[in-house]
Amino acid sequence: MSKFILKRIAAMIFVLFSISVLVFLIFFATPGVDPAARIAGRNADQLTLQQVRVSFELDKPLPLRYLSMMRHLFISQDLTSYVNRGAKVLPQLFQAIPATLSLVFGAALIWLCVGIFLGIAAASSKRKWMDPTISFLGIVGISLPVYWLGEVVNLITQSKLHNSVFSWLPPLGYVPLTQDPLGWFLRMIFPWMTLALLYAGIYIRVLRSEILSVMKEDYIKTERAKGASEKRILYKHATRMSLITIVSLFGLDFGALVGGSALLTEVVFGIQGVGRLTFSALQNFDLPVIMATVMYASFFVVLANAIVDVVYALLDPRVRRV
Amino acid sequence: MRKRSIILVSMLATATLLLSACGGSSDSNSSAGSDTTTKGSFAAYDETKAGGILKFVAAGAGGTLDPKVNYTAQYWQLYQASYDGLLAFKYADDEGSFEVVPDLAEALPEITNDGKTLTFTLRKGIKFSDGTDVTVADVKASFERIFTVSSPTAGGFYNGIVGADACLKKPAGCKLDAGVVVDPATNSVVINLIAPDETIISKLAVPHAVINPAGSPTTDAGTTIIPTTGPYMYKSYDPNKSLIMVRNPYFKEWSHDAQPQGYPDEIHYTFGLTATAQVTAVENDQANWGYDPIPSDRLNEIGTKYADQVHVNPLTAMWYLPMNVNLAPFNNLKARQAVNYALDRAAMVKIFGGDKLAAPVCSFLPPGFPGHEDYCQYTVGGTPEAPATAWTAPDLAKAKALVEESGTKGQAVGIVVSDDEVNKQMGEYIQSVLNQIGYKATLKPISGNIQFTYIQNTKNKVQISLSQWYQDYPAASDFLYILLSCGSFTPGSDSSINMAGYCNKALDVKMQKAMDLGLTDPAAANKLWASIDKEVMADAPVAVAFTPKQLDFISKSTKNYHFSKQYKMFVSQIQLK
Repeated sequence: MSKFILKRIAAMIFVLFSISVLVFLIFFATPGVDPAARIAGRNADQLTLQQVRVSFELDKPLPLRYLSMMRHLFISQDLTSYVNRGAKVLPQLFQAIPATLSLVFGAALIWLCVGIFLGIAAASSKRKWMDPTISFLGIVGISLPVYWLGEVVNLITQSKLHNSVFSWLPPLGYVPLTQDPLGWFLRMIFPWMTLALLYAGIYIRVLRSEILSVMKEDYIKTERAKGASEKRILYKHATRMSLITIVSLFGLDFGALVGGSALLTEVVFGIQGVGRLTFSALQNFDLPVIMATVMYASFFVVLANAIVDVVYALLDPRVRRV
Repeated sequence: MRKRSIILVSMLATATLLLSACGGSSDSNSSAGSDTTTKGSFAAYDETKAGGILKFVAAGAGGTLDPKVNYTAQYWQLYQASYDGLLAFKYADDEGSFEVVPDLAEALPEITNDGKTLTFTLRKGIKFSDGTDVTVADVKASFERIFTVSSPTAGGFYNGIVGADACLKKPAGCKLDAGVVVDPATNSVVINLIAPDETIISKLAVPHAVINPAGSPTTDAGTTIIPTTGPYMYKSYDPNKSLIMVRNPYFKEWSHDAQPQGYPDEIHYTFGLTATAQVTAVENDQANWGYDPIPSDRLNEIGTKYADQVHVNPLTAMWYLPMNVNLAPFNNLKARQAVNYALDRAAMVKIFGGDKLAAPVCSFLPPGFPGHEDYCQYTVGGTPEAPATAWTAPDLAKAKALVEESGTKGQAVGIVVSDDEVNKQMGEYIQSVLNQIGYKATLKPISGNIQFTYIQNTKNKVQISLSQWYQDYPAASDFLYILLSCGSFTPGSDSSINMAGYCNKALDVKMQKAMDLGLTDPAAANKLWASIDKEVMADAPVAVAFTPKQLDFISKSTKNYHFSKQYKMFVSQIQLK
């Protein structure tokens, strides 16, 4: 078993290394991307340009540049941005994490509650109209692009009805929970709901079809034959079985979102999280920040996968031999 | 200077709706409650109006906070209220804001030695925001620091100081012992130049020449805060979150024209709101002002519902099309002139947002700028020899004939523009014009963040592009000499601001003459610049399209709006009471 875990860790490091090399090479292969002139400033003297090149180690060959960047990122941890010179990348990233966690935790709570409740309702309802209605709503939720929905929500809550219905709503942005709990909560309500809508739609549909397929299983028939009530069958057996799929799906979604996939929601609502940091770094061609956020995101995804693999291995001895 | 976030400009024809509404706002830009004295100076400080937190919002931060390195309009505006040089641009409306006045120096310099020696006396009793005195040693160190931190303008603005060439070559440990001579006993500061420089006064008034403590970092300070001398100091800076400015406890007004006391108690600049969210925040009075240009779909709304909170002011800037004079087809004069004749400047103004937000021009120097004369060679009824007074309409027939004559008809032309909405639309328009006059044009939009350096590098073989230039200081040389002299063209470099690759030795000599003349007779020099302008445009290395205007949308609680032609809205003068 320990050999298996070591193998997984080695594979994880290899994947992270490959991603970092790819990001690095793609960046420098982009035409016109050389950051020296943008760092030096408009109409900089050729000598000044040369000094910037030296001080940012842009005069060195690519492999050395890569090694130096990795050294600054992981060992001395003092890698600084190309755009906001002097701003260290790692503190920026760590500062952004609480905002992203606030957004993703709250949204996850909402979409799990809504998804599970409506998913069960759709699968079990005896009223004929209910299942298609819920499924339809689910599809609507999945289809609405989050950046569009976010803008519309802002238009209504911050602009059109701000002086009447939504006068209690604070301006867009993020305040830490520890600093102003109520302000934090009020500011996060609409971002949570916007982000949750998409995932709730997916979860409703997944849970519904899972429950319906489990209901056809033999052991459910056995339960019925034994005289168990429909309620007991639904909650105790069918839903419980179906939740396994939901839990593994949730693990992956949650990992990706914490890694920065809530980017568009963060941008639209002005939440200074990891996603927005990635977004602005991509816009500004700020390689050090791009590198840090990509490594951070891939770390979460790779870690989640590794944990899943290890857990599978624990459960199923056959996997260990692979 | 090129405005950093111009790529975000997103103003469409909907702005024409703004026309009527903006009538209520003032182009002369003094809003209610702003009394100005007769000389253009601002009214004396009114303590009853002081207080409150001024809130600004922007999509992103402006980069390093180091005043010697930052070269963005976003932070230069704040530096005016926080840092001081020996000289400063005046706190005044209209033309007055271009005037240079003594700031940390007691008076304007005494100029001797044929313009090569400038003698200042540093004011006594001024302190930095950390409580230490401002001394002549700080002044000397500040000039050396321009070179040690590799300021973007070290080579462009300050290379004329004696000893600067050595410092440019070897910035570490730069010493200007002969260039900046100080005497602590008399508090005098003598700046020695290798040659007279008619723009040195302006260059000493911009933020890269401000005075910082001698112990400031020897590399770009980045997010580290450097003590200020003005009414505000920086409390915290996080480029991903916010910039907080508070009152400098050691500030006492020493010159109302150079650095008046500020009104708000604090200034909070928050980063991370989209341009449209900024407009909403200002409408709700959650923010006083948003930095980014107003999106086209919001112009109508603010123009109709919030007309009295809108201020429109002309900028001394231009949008223009550099044409590479070293590459076919634009290595042919007639081909370049044809583009100039064919360009419908009114159409480009319309794409930018209508005549309230821009005005068509053909001259290189923008209206309201030293040396500008109203003229247009490339319009119906105009020729390079006998220009019309203003642009009226394109002359397509003439353009087609010129292309025919030049023998370049049918050649392929690539147009490189930024990939934002407005630039791309203008690119599409330029493409249609080039196709109309006989070229096979293709549009190449690239990311706005790299377009500006991409089009400068000759290795990228850019034939024609769309770019912008915003003034650094009010002098004709800031446009003509910087953008079109031989010295500004460095083949193969990303920093070669002369994008057309235009090098005319005879004209360089003439420009040098105009700069020399500026030292003794600015009026005559400006006349000469006007003739150089015409001469350059007859050669047509670029096609100038229009001059943009600044649209500021302020919240209803924001009072005492004043506009500086140099730094835009005066931040410290805004009143919240």
